Amino acid sequence: MSLHPGRLCLEGVSFAIDGRDLVSGISLNAAPGEMIGLLGPNGAGKSSLLRTIYRTNRPTSGQVRVNDMDVWQQSAGWTARHIGAVLQDMPADFPLTVSDIVAMGRSAHKRLFETDSDHDRTLIDSAIALLQLIPFKDRLFHTLSGGERQRVLVARALVQQPAVLVLDEPTNHLDLHHQIQLLRFVRNLGVTVIAALHDLNLAAMFCDRLCLLYKGRMEALGSPEHVLTTERLARIYRIEATLTRNPRTDTVWVMPS
Amino acid sequence: MTDIRSDSLPMPDQARLLAMLRSTGVEHSPAQSSGADTRPQERHAMLSYGAVTGLLTGLLLVLALAGLMLGSVHIPAPTALGVIVNAVLGMELVPATWRDVYTTIIIETRAPRVILAGAVGATLAATGMTIQAIVRNPLAGPSMLGVSSGAATGAVVAMRWGLVGLGAFSLHLSAFAGALVTLVSVFWVARTGGSMSPTRLVLAGIAMSSVLGALTSLLVLTSPDPQMAARVLFWTLGSFGSAQWKLLPLPVAALIIGLGVMLVQARRLNLLMAGDESATALGLDVNRFRQSMFVLTAALTGVMVAVSGVIGFVGLIVPHIVRFLVGADHRRALPVVALVGASFTIGADMVARSVISPLELPVGIITALVGGPFFIWLLRRDAKGRHA
Repeated sequence: MSLHPGRLCLEGVSFAIDGRDLVSGISLNAAPGEMIGLLGPNGAGKSSLLRTIYRTNRPTSGQVRVNDMDVWQQSAGWTARHIGAVLQDMPADFPLTVSDIVAMGRSAHKRLFETDSDHDRTLIDSAIALLQLIPFKDRLFHTLSGGERQRVLVARALVQQPAVLVLDEPTNHLDLHHQIQLLRFVRNLGVTVIAALHDLNLAAMFCDRLCLLYKGRMEALGSPEHVLTTERLARIYRIEATLTRNPRTDTVWVMPS
Repeated sequence: MTDIRSDSLPMPDQARLLAMLRSTGVEHSPAQSSGADTRPQERHAMLSYGAVTGLLTGLLLVLALAGLMLGSVHIPAPTALGVIVNAVLGMELVPATWRDVYTTIIIETRAPRVILAGAVGATLAATGMTIQAIVRNPLAGPSMLGVSSGAATGAVVAMRWGLVGLGAFSLHLSAFAGALVTLVSVFWVARTGGSMSPTRLVLAGIAMSSVLGALTSLLVLTSPDPQMAARVLFWTLGSFGSAQWKLLPLPVAALIIGLGVMLVQARRLNLLMAGDESATALGLDVNRFRQSMFVLTAALTGVMVAVSGVIGFVGLIVPHIVRFLVGADHRRALPVVALVGASFTIGADMVARSVISPLELPVGIITALVGGPFFIWLLRRDAKGRHA
């Protein structure tokens, strides 16, 4: 639980609302330090699946395990000490500073009424420095740009000292530079990462393995070369695409037409 | 050929910072100040937290003293202080050179009134701040939970039928019962499938308020007592006129317990501001926490309305002022909001007592007259900020 890569294991995870399956029978093992990209068109079940990991959607069947512990048998606090999440919901309209928000990440490590120790402050300051947020430390969160906000939320997840980092479309609203900067950053963190992504080329560039969801089911799991085929792109994404390779990164490159 | 994936982070210090983030605290050593600056920095506030708290405590004490001095009979400050010192110590430390009636006025009338006003103000302000966090809306307030309307209905029932057998406090008890019934109803309406969304909570509160408001009007209009409307109006607008020592234990205990619980839960209240899913991921059982905080704040509001009527805007305005002063972190803001809330109502009560002395205005009129325009200014300022 201290920012060391953990093992994430989904075993036959299904989630249904009112009898309708949003996610069915997903099994997936992420090795410590692996970065997995979750792909799929809108409504494929990416967010629903991620929610079963960070304890928002209780699986109707199956298990989510981190370091061999069933997440849903543990407390909310235990989960927060092992899984960090960067989500799409943004802090409400309160005058919260960057430091205030990053400090929230320490809650699960604290008992009620326990004040922040020097250690907590060191972690908070380190995360702020690591995400290059020192100049924004005392700025109000809602005055920041999209890229800066996203970095604040990553910093907050880091001070949780998680073994697994869950990212739900982390590159939304970011320009290309910030998309690449963010993905490169989490890749180099050395924790296990599972991220829902829309950009297939960026996913192929940064992820060790890709998991393609369609209508709540897993269509493919494996290396980008294995998962991204013209047949699947046509059937699932409904695009005619040519596959080639990025000459600089030597990764799969999808060219829609 | 550069590999975009393994390109190093653009931080010279990343390895050291990452190592820091991995530390468990057992082997903790303070951050070395080589390279990036990780030293704790002071907030860019004009005054430190300690100074703000100190000044506001001073303000509260001054207002409390003024509350003892002012009224139909003006009592000089040294006399008021002397009476209080002697009463607290239980002996005549300060030679009593004043008329006995001054002692009676201060001890029997003004002191309980100042304490009641302070306790109600502090509780309503802290409650308002907590409610704003649980519904994730800085424009919410205690009156939004419907509990105030329930208390009003309860009070009107007591005024119409007297409810004999409940003794001197039948009005207060009936109002509190009304508040509790409303609390349970709103809770039941707002809860679906084990969860309670902020939107449903607000809508349930508004719906209950309008139903109860109609019921109150009906009871008033069909009452045989022609004075009923005036009595209900006066009660509804709030007053500390019923203050007496016997009435104080309940609101004071509610303040101490309520504020204590909120302070213990301050860190969790912070998480609620992050959004429900993020709060869950940060380790909070959001549904259970929101429900228990709703019960706490609604019960506190019920107690306060039962003893003093509906005193509007304190729970809405004071949290805003306080967040502006010390930020939104509840660990810092809750103690300050209690101080400012107490000062605000003690001050408003003084105005209510002096404007048409020897008669008095309902204190709710004063808080609304001050709070309403402030709220409008806040909304306008907010609107400008969004379009800037």
